[in-house]
Amino acid sequence: MLQAAGLTKTYASGDRRIAVLRGVDLLLRAGESVSIRGESGAGKSTLLHLLAGLDAPDAGELRWNGDRIDAARCTAIRNRFLGMIFQSFHLVPELTAEDNVLLPRRIGGRVDAAARRRAADLLARVGLGERARHLPSQLSGGERQRVAVARALMNQPSLVLADEPTGNLDERTGEAVITLLLELVAETRTALILVTHNPAHAARTSRHLTLSEGILHHG
Amino acid sequence: MPWYVHLALKQLFPAGRRFPFFTAISVLGVALGVALLIVVTSVMGGFGYEIRRMIVETEGEVQVKARGLIDDPAAVLQQVRRVPGVEAATPFASGVVMVMANGRPAYPAIRGLHLDTVGGVVDLAAYVRLGTLEELDDDSVLVSSELARSLGVTIGDTLEVYSPLIIERLRSDEVFLPREVRVVGLVEIGHQQLDSSMLYGTLRLVQDLYGLGSAVHGVNVRARPGVGEDELARRLNAGGLPAGLQAFSWMDSFEEFLWVLNLEKGMIFFLLLFIVIVAAFSVMSSLLISVVRKTREIGLLGALGASSRGVAACFCAQGILIGCFGTLVGLGLGFAALAVRNDAVMLIARLTQREDELRRFYQFSNLPAHTVPGDVATVVVLTLAISFLAGLVPAWRAARLRPVEAFRSE
Ligand SMILES: Nc1ncnc2c1ncn2[C@@H]1O[C@H](COP(=O)(O)OP(=O)(O)O)[C@@H](O)[C@H]1O
Ligand SMILES: [Mg+2]
Repeated sequence: MLQAAGLTKTYASGDRRIAVLRGVDLLLRAGESVSIRGESGAGKSTLLHLLAGLDAPDAGELRWNGDRIDAARCTAIRNRFLGMIFQSFHLVPELTAEDNVLLPRRIGGRVDAAARRRAADLLARVGLGERARHLPSQLSGGERQRVAVARALMNQPSLVLADEPTGNLDERTGEAVITLLLELVAETRTALILVTHNPAHAARTSRHLTLSEGILHHG
Repeated sequence: MPWYVHLALKQLFPAGRRFPFFTAISVLGVALGVALLIVVTSVMGGFGYEIRRMIVETEGEVQVKARGLIDDPAAVLQQVRRVPGVEAATPFASGVVMVMANGRPAYPAIRGLHLDTVGGVVDLAAYVRLGTLEELDDDSVLVSSELARSLGVTIGDTLEVYSPLIIERLRSDEVFLPREVRVVGLVEIGHQQLDSSMLYGTLRLVQDLYGLGSAVHGVNVRARPGVGEDELARRLNAGGLPAGLQAFSWMDSFEEFLWVLNLEKGMIFFLLLFIVIVAAFSVMSSLLISVVRKTREIGLLGALGASSRGVAACFCAQGILIGCFGTLVGLGLGFAALAVRNDAVMLIARLTQREDELRRFYQFSNLPAHTVPGDVATVVVLTLAISFLAGLVPAWRAARLRPVEAFRSE
């Protein structure tokens, strides 16, 4: 479903060049959940951005469902293929919880009654059925991240990329969000790449990877 | 609704906020420019329009004149009336006389009206403020309101009228007695120049005063509704008139004046347009600030699969929406200001104690205003175009933003 082969990425910082990724290979099957751990600055976010087609690798190849992905021209496919969850939630502050969840559908096409029903179901599923009309500023951190989870699943993507989704949450709230996320991807047979510092969270995925020295290791 | 319009609306009018302060300020800036453009073009247009209305109402759309006198007005009238598009025609004689009343002299213009036919061309009765037109005969006159005031005469008083014929009579050592006429009415047209110094008498009276016999100075022509004055003048000149006579539309007669008026209007429009442009700059700068403030959200939109063209459209749409609301509010403000313009002018005059001067020196008894639909359309189109351009720069900045960089800006 997702194939990455030999992804490399080097940043120029002043006159030094930092090779953040030095040939990352990753094969992901449909519905599979994978955790990636690594020190801060190891290049985890960089890798997720490459896998999401938001940035182009210096070398290497990325395929979604077998199709080669060109970072410059994959926005429309991305809208259907994947959902993303970020450390700092990234909700649009002017939109209600419901409109935030509907945003991927709006961008991808039209919002019809079925889409509204799905958004309402998702919000109910993440425990925010009563908060649909609330703005992000009226929600707590955990609630915002649950809205982000619902939004990531709105377009029934094949893959969800989560970049330290609990990084800004306290332990119990983070635990609840991870539990919810894992339940939801399991129910919908959606593949998941979970970047996290927390070994306990990492342990709950079916495969465990570590990023260090620009290479993905097992375990 | 495309997502970028939806999002643009939500960003301008965030849910749950009752009064969108930033949007209101941007909208108000555009609205003030639009309102000013509407008010000023309407008032500028009002001068031309009022002058036209006054001339056309008091003289008809077209005037037929000879180089000298028209000796056989009956024949000319007959020919003029046969031209299609002519509603009515009336001969007139006019000139300047000296009048004395209460020992005070004045030098008003006098207009001789052919009472049988003048009604078809000019509804003079509508301007008679005191007395009636019916009492007018060869030994009486109507006096314009300001002239009556300055001479201190009113209905029933007598005026002594001296015509230029006095000079010829004196040359031939004849005794010359002034013509005594009664004042039977006061006329107020609403234009300072026309009201300051005019007498209206019968055609016979003026012919006598000027020694014209049965000749007249010209023929005023009223056009049928829907027939343009230039068109009618063209038709008359094309064959409806005896040799030596020519028809002028009121536009021909006031061509230079109207040209200057139009030029002034155009210049002022151009200058005031800069208010809208300045407002557009403030819209642009506030949108640019919001691009910077919303860097993360713009990155997010990319991550959700929005194209950079869509992101650009979102900011362009905000510029256009501000332009639309600004135009609507501005039109409202502008027309409201026009509706109360006379009260406002009087209030300012009263506060600055200039009421008398205003009445005396200003040509009109009211501040005229005439809104031309074409002007309004121009204002609307230009404002929307300028707002669109104002949104273009922020849109371009937002579209250039790459999601990855946006996320790193935290
Ligand atoms: N645009 C960039 N320019 C220069 N250096 C960058 C850029 N993006 C990331 N880096 C560097 O790459 C490294 C990996 O960053 P990141 O992927 O954010 O790490 P992680 O998410 O694992 O903490 C860091 O050293 C960071 O400073
Ligand atoms: Mg990171």
